[in-house]
Amino acid sequence: MKARTSPGNLSLYWQYIRIHARSGVQYKGWWMMLIQVVFVVFSDVISTLLMFDRFGSIGEWSIDRILLIYFTAVTAFGLAEVFCRGFDTFPFGMVRKGGFDRVLLRPRPLALQVAASAFHLHRLSRPLCGLGVIAFLFCKHHVIMDPARILMLVSALLGGFLMYAGVFILTSGISFFTIQAIDWIYIFTNAGYQVTRCPVEYMPKALYRVFTFIIPVLVISYYPMSVICGWGEPMWKGWLPLPVGAGFLLVSWFVWRFGVRHYKSTGS
Amino acid sequence: MSAEIRMTASPPSKTAPWKAYFSIFRIELLQKVQYRIAALAGAATSIFWGIVEITVYTVFYRYADNNAAGIAAGMTLQQLASYIWLGQFMFLIQPHVPGEFTQKITSGDVGLELCRPMRLYRHWFARLAAINLSSLPVRGAMVLLAGIILPGGYRMSLPASPAGFAATLISAVGSLLLCTSYGMFVTSVRMNVSWGNGPMFILLLVPGVLSGTYLPLQLWPDFMQKFLLFQPFAGYADLPIRLYIGSLAPSDAVWAVGLQILWSGFFIFLGNLIMNRQLKNIVVQGG
Repeated sequence: MKARTSPGNLSLYWQYIRIHARSGVQYKGWWMMLIQVVFVVFSDVISTLLMFDRFGSIGEWSIDRILLIYFTAVTAFGLAEVFCRGFDTFPFGMVRKGGFDRVLLRPRPLALQVAASAFHLHRLSRPLCGLGVIAFLFCKHHVIMDPARILMLVSALLGGFLMYAGVFILTSGISFFTIQAIDWIYIFTNAGYQVTRCPVEYMPKALYRVFTFIIPVLVISYYPMSVICGWGEPMWKGWLPLPVGAGFLLVSWFVWRFGVRHYKSTGS
Repeated sequence: MSAEIRMTASPPSKTAPWKAYFSIFRIELLQKVQYRIAALAGAATSIFWGIVEITVYTVFYRYADNNAAGIAAGMTLQQLASYIWLGQFMFLIQPHVPGEFTQKITSGDVGLELCRPMRLYRHWFARLAAINLSSLPVRGAMVLLAGIILPGGYRMSLPASPAGFAATLISAVGSLLLCTSYGMFVTSVRMNVSWGNGPMFILLLVPGVLSGTYLPLQLWPDFMQKFLLFQPFAGYADLPIRLYIGSLAPSDAVWAVGLQILWSGFFIFLGNLIMNRQLKNIVVQGG
């Protein structure tokens, strides 16, 4: 039976997050981290900007089009990093050091404890920058934001968030077995959204398939943007991100559960 | 509760011979090379990244409205493919402040390090050099192998000339020296505990962008070219790679390597200066 004074799960999650945030700002240079992530976000696109500057557009594909797709993926990734950071650091922080043993002892949902085991204020920079760029480009191209379009954008970001949260949870699930050697996961996270820099029409088939059917980065970024801005994809594809993201998360969830059941402690 | 001890440390009067630092370098290198499976997993990311980069550049070279711009900038698509693979390779020696160092600094274990009859700067310099180098034997080799065996437009070309290849190798050693010197400069800055990681990450980000591994420096805007060639971080990757693909003649290696050594000297001087100041008034945390 739950003690009466113990908070509900959601408020427990926020309490964790608040504590992490407050301990983070104890460092004199904490605000520099916010700026640092802004630097990272924009320096990542320097090469794309300079290439378009030198080479001009690629047919219909202007720099703005690429940036819209790219930053949709970046924002979704950023949101997952903010709210599921614990899963991101889980393989190193918990499995290898054996800290997961402690988590198992507490009578609270595992996923909640792991997700809230880390929170970095500066990770907020990435989704905020992404949203800023998307808003700027929408204004620049006079994209009319009627309720349907706003809803589609929100559902795309939410779907992307679920997908990337799924990637983190999947990695954590796999790390129960591999313990380390999970660097390849960057292919699906930080390196993964780099594929959105390539115009979809000119993308090699293999690359397109991997990032549509295996890890649906293009589904959560290219399709909704194409529908919202009217680049020619059919309406129904714009509504795909949410169900696809949720589906991906569900599969990851099973891998995670499977991993937890087969967990053997490595710590001391 | 944690107690804070303020202590004044001066470098030990009798320092260890150079041989000791070389041993530390060797031990660290052998230890780090052990993680072979992790290195293979990392190689997958590097290779994937290389393939995506080459794909994007190929689209520009083939379909862009102004698709001759690359050649005009002095780079063929073939040279670019070689640049990407070598860039992925050289990227691996770019320094970060290792977790072992930051942990020692935050936990106060750095005090223990100061008890050794060694200069902390030289001790960590040797370790950092080994850590920077340690990704190359497995992960780096896999990246180059991918460049050699991939088909068609993804393949890496042979060096422009035998002399150019020799120049590349010498300049690559210069890169390692430069990367380690700069990494130690950042480590020295990081020794101030109360500022946390912020300044460190910004200091580590700038060189990455300016090294050519983000975008080959020749493809940057024309008016920046002079600056790009002489700023310290061209020595990270761009200079040796230019020697390989023939954008620089083998004889240019003289000033290219000279430049690398000059900047290394500058960062070594700066790193020592800052570290000595930090050690004079170090705060050891613990309780």
